[in-house]
Formats: sequence, C-alpha cells, structure tokens
Amino acid sequence: MADDHGPAPGLWQRLRRVLRDDLHLTSIGFGFTAILLTAMAAAAWWAGRTQDSSLHQAHAERVRTTGETLARTAEILLADGRLGRVRRLVVETAREANLSRCRLLLPTGEVVADAQPEAITRQDLPPSWDGEAPPPRPGVDRLCRTISVTVPDRGTLLLQVAASPDPAAELFWQTRAGIGAVCVMALVVLVLMHRRFRNTFRGIWAVRRALLARRDGQCAPEALKVRADWGPEAEAWNSLMDQMEQAKRRTALSRTEESLRLQQHSSQDLSAACDALAQGLILVDGHSRAKYLNSAAAVLLRVRRDQIDDADIGDVIPDEEVVEAVRQATHRPMQRRQIFEIERKGDAGRVLLRFIVRPVRREDSAVAMVVIEDITQQRVAEDARNTFLAQATHELRTPLTNIRACAEAGLDEGRDDPAVQANCLSTINQEVCRLDRIVGDILSVSEIEAGSLRLNEDDVRLEDLMASLEADYAAQAKEKQIDLTFDLPPKLPVLRGDREKISLGFHNLLGNALKYTPEGGKVTATVDIQDGQLAFQVADTGIGMNEEDQRRIFEKFYRSPDRRVTQITGSGLGLAIAREVIRMHGGDIAVESEIDQGSTFTLTLPVMEGVPVA
Amino acid sequence: VNIAEQECGAVRVLKPEGPVSAKDAEDLKARIDAMLESSLGRCVVDASAIQYVDSRGLEVLVEANEAIARTGHPLKLCGVNQTLRQVLELTGLAAQFEFFADANSAVRSFL
Repeated sequence: MADDHGPAPGLWQRLRRVLRDDLHLTSIGFGFTAILLTAMAAAAWWAGRTQDSSLHQAHAERVRTTGETLARTAEILLADGRLGRVRRLVVETAREANLSRCRLLLPTGEVVADAQPEAITRQDLPPSWDGEAPPPRPGVDRLCRTISVTVPDRGTLLLQVAASPDPAAELFWQTRAGIGAVCVMALVVLVLMHRRFRNTFRGIWAVRRALLARRDGQCAPEALKVRADWGPEAEAWNSLMDQMEQAKRRTALSRTEESLRLQQHSSQDLSAACDALAQGLILVDGHSRAKYLNSAAAVLLRVRRDQIDDADIGDVIPDEEVVEAVRQATHRPMQRRQIFEIERKGDAGRVLLRFIVRPVRREDSAVAMVVIEDITQQRVAEDARNTFLAQATHELRTPLTNIRACAEAGLDEGRDDPAVQANCLSTINQEVCRLDRIVGDILSVSEIEAGSLRLNEDDVRLEDLMASLEADYAAQAKEKQIDLTFDLPPKLPVLRGDREKISLGFHNLLGNALKYTPEGGKVTATVDIQDGQLAFQVADTGIGMNEEDQRRIFEKFYRSPDRRVTQITGSGLGLAIAREVIRMHGGDIAVESEIDQGSTFTLTLPVMEGVPVA
Repeated sequence: VNIAEQECGAVRVLKPEGPVSAKDAEDLKARIDAMLESSLGRCVVDASAIQYVDSRGLEVLVEANEAIARTGHPLKLCGVNQTLRQVLELTGLAAQFEFFADANSAVRSFL
C-alpha cells in the first residue's frame, strides 16, 4: 500500500527491501558488537581504575615513608646542628625518591633546605624561633605532605615533600590507548567479518523469510526465491525452489499430457466411430471450412481426405445450393435443418445424394454439420416400385375392363345369342386367368422381397411339364403365326423341386419368347441333359436386346426402354421371379441376345442324383 | 475365372464363377476395386459360384473388405457355400463380412 502513496515508490521499495534485508542482521550484529565493546570498555575502565588506585596509594605511601624518614633523620641531624648534612640529605632524598618538591621551612616561610639549593633563603638556623608548625592536612593531597621537624630547644621546622607527577597516570593512558586499539582492531575485524559473511547471513535470513512466507501460503516461486549472490545457501535454496518448480511443472505437464492423451483417445474413438458410419459426415467451421470429413463422405463425394484439410466447403461439395445452405447455417446458428437431394451423373450412372445441412449450436463458434446419404438404391427401388404399381394397376385394370365389357355384353346380347354368351364367358375366363397370373406374380415378388418364398418340394415330371408348355403355347404361337418347335430328348428326367415354381420359370421363358417375337418368327425350345445338369434353351428370332438390357433384364421391375417392349404390357417381374425361383433350386437362367436378331435364354437345373430318368 | 457383373438397381453384384486363387484373385481384386470406385460402395460379391478360395483369395476378400469399409459398409457376401464358410470361420475372418443367403437379400440390405 505504501507503494501507492509514496512519491518515489522505487526508492521506497528499495529502502524497504534494504531495511527488510539488512536491518535485522545489521542491528543484531551491531547490537552484539556494541554490547561487547561496552562490556570490554567497562571492564578495562574498572581494571584501570583499580590499578590506578592501588598505584596511587603505593606512591603516596612511599612519599609519606620517605618524608617521615627524612624528617626523623633531619631532627637528629639538626639536633647536632649539622644543617649542611641535612641539606645534602634533602637533595639526595629528593633525587632518589623522585620528589618534585622537598624543602625544609621555618614557620616564617624561610627555606632552610631545599632540593633546589638556589631556593634556600636562609643560610643558617636561628638559635630559636617561634611559631607552631601548622597541622598537617592529611587527605587533601596524599602526594604532597608537610611534616613537622622538631629541633629540641629551638623550635619546629616544616618539611614539605611532594611527589613528582604520578607515574600511574601515564600508565593509565597507556592502558586506555591499548584498550582503544584493541577495540578498534576488534571493530575492524568485526566489520571485515561482517563484510565477509554479510551475504551468507543475508542468504540464510532470506531463506528463513521465504520459509515463513511459504508457511503463510505464498507459493509463487518468484516470490520465494532469494538473490543468488547471497552465498551458497541462497544458491542451494534457489536450486531447491527450481527443482520444486520443475517437479510441479513436470507433474502439471504429465497431467496435461495424460488428459490430452485421453482426449486424443476419445477423439480417435469418435473419429473411428464416425468412419464406421455409412452416412457421410462433414463438419464445417464458422469460416465455411471443412474441419472434419469421415471416410464415407470422402467416398460419396469422391474426394481425398488428406486434400480437404481446412478446404473451403465449396471445394468439397459440388453443388452450389448446398454450399450456400452450409454458409448460411454457419452464420445463423438458429436456422433449422435443410435437406437437398442432388443427382449426379458419373461413369457409374446416376447417383442420388441426400445432403442434410444443419447448424450445430455452440456458444463459442458457429459450426454446421452436413450429413450425406446415398439414396440411389432407395430411389431406384422407389421408382421401380412406382413403375411397378403403375404397371400392375394397368395390368390389373386391363383384364378387369375386359371382364366388365364381356360381362356387360354377355348380359345384354348373350341373353338371346348363346354364341355371344359363350364367347363372352370364354374371354372372361381368359382374363380371370390373366388376373390370377398377375396377382400371383405380385405375390411372388412380395414373397421374394420379404424373403418368405418357400419351396414345396415334390417330384416334377419334366415330360408332363413340356407337354403342358406345348399345350399352353401352341394356340398363342398359331395365332401369331410363329413356328414353335420343341426339340426334346426321348427320355426326360424327373426333377425334385417346387412344381409350380419350376413350371413358372419354364413358362416365363417360353411366354416371353412368343411375346417378343414378331409374327412369322420362330421359337425353338430344346432340352439337353449333361453331367447331371439339365439345360432348357429357348431361342427366338425376336426383337433381341442390347447389352444394357441383357445386363439388367433380370432386375425386378426392369423393362427395356425399347418402344417394341413398352408397347407390350408387362410388369417387368416375370424374369426376375423366374430366375429367383430357379436359383432357389440351385439352377440359373442366362441370356444371350443380339438386337433385332433374337435372344436365347438358357435355364439350367441340377438333376438330382438317384432320381430315375423316366 | 469369369466374373459376371450384374446391376440390381443401384447395387452391383459381382459373381466370380469358379475358384478364386492366385491370378484369379488378382482379377477379382481389380474388379472389386473398380466397382467400389464407381458404385460408391454399393456392391455385393455373389460367392455362390465360388467353390473354394486359396490364401491369396482370402487376402483379396480381406483387402476388399478393408477398402469397402471406408464407405461404412462391410463386404457383403451372398450364397457362400459350406466350404468357403468353413474356411472363413476357421481363419477367424467370418466376423468381418456380412453374409446373405442370396443376392437379393444382400441388395435389399442397401435399402
């Protein structure tokens, strides 16, 4: 907070840091030093003082002793009147005892003897003198004494002795200087040590502070790190912090990698699932770029997946209308889905693709999804069914119309004329048979479609079958003036199978031959038995078929677009049903044909072993 | 081997007539590839006339299945005889394919 208000936050901060970094250490260091020095000084002072006092005392004692000795000696000598001797003694004593003053005075103040001979003011002692010597003043100055010297019968002299300056004083100062020097040296050593170890202490201190901060919840490594130049402890701490950070990062990284891996796995799973779809799927982003395309979409659109990476949707979907819808969907996420059915013609014929474009609601981005379905087969089947329905309706209606017309005619005119009546009834009978056949066909197709066509196994006598064929179609052939011949081996086998169904196959081939062979043509039916296989061949000289028709003739509901075919009624079911039922018996029907030249259909059936040739 | 091709609506039915082995397998592969490309995967292999397949033939079927799987459909086989079915089951490949009794039901599966 101080940073916000201070005029110079940088400076303030630095100061705070210095205080924070150094204050504790420095104050503790200097506190210790000060206490130490004060203690040292106090001890030195006390020791000096004690020493001084004892020296002073000894000095004073020496001065007193010397003075007393001199006074007593002087008393004796002066009693003898040997003043000169006293004077010599004073000089010698002063020299020997290193006295600054040593004099003998009369109470009048006249100096009779002195350490300095020139200071003598009276050369001889008066015979007597008055005056009492002033009492000594002990305690005022123990180094300066005045002692009474009594000369019997003459008076009292005063002996003044004073010591020269106390040698202890010099010693006193020497001692203090020594102590001072020691202190200064100690200080210098302390400062040097402080300089030498300051960083170490700072480092340790900073580490301590970082530890406390960590305890208080500070986790940012930058805040916990200390200055690297604060000694090896700081370096070690920093490296520890780095390792911790690295470990933390590694953990975070591995977690991220793990989560990424999981995500990738799930994305791969999703991608694999999308690739297993038979529907094409394209995801388009907000910039109309194809972000994802499953393999079915690539196949249906005939594009390569590696080429559409982020390609514009216009390059992927060939239809402008769909592309426009996709662009709109990515811009307006609320739009409902749109469905397009696009027909494409390629080398493989007609392809019908249904595109379902729908926006995918997302909060952060606009995404659209395009689902592509191949509906060619559905559409083909639908068309065929519609055609079939139309044909069937037509087919059903034609005999119905005939029946109705004949019934009416029979009722009106046949009442009187039995011939007309018979004719009408015969026609009605024919048409009913036709109706029955058509309904049978439709039922067969339904059964085949539903997969519920079942065979009723029985013996099928081929001879009987051929006879019924001849009987059934002879009239029709005669009517169209077609030369219908049967080329049969003398012995025909008995087949095992569904009599009706097999008969249907044979009938169909022969019926078609007669149907599509113009008047005056020729139809030959032959039966050949070889290697346990029966081959029933119907060759005609009819309108024939081109290759396309030959390939598709067995498709259900297929009818050749040839006008000669469309003019003749038919459901396009007969051959499909015939082949289906023959195949169900383990045989097949094949065709060879040339347009305008005629066709040859071959029906093959296995002849069951053990079935006697009749 | 003769390979008959038939269109059932928009579905192509490929019918190899004879055993699929060695060079015939290569032919079949080429035909299946071409058919896949043109029919957008709407195809069926009618195996009713395949008596047996050798290892290369099996390989071709598996390769064809992988190729056709891109369209989201498995390879549809119809009319598979017992020998071929046993071979496919013994080699553990049967689960990869879809089997139909006849071409019609296989074609119907595209509806």
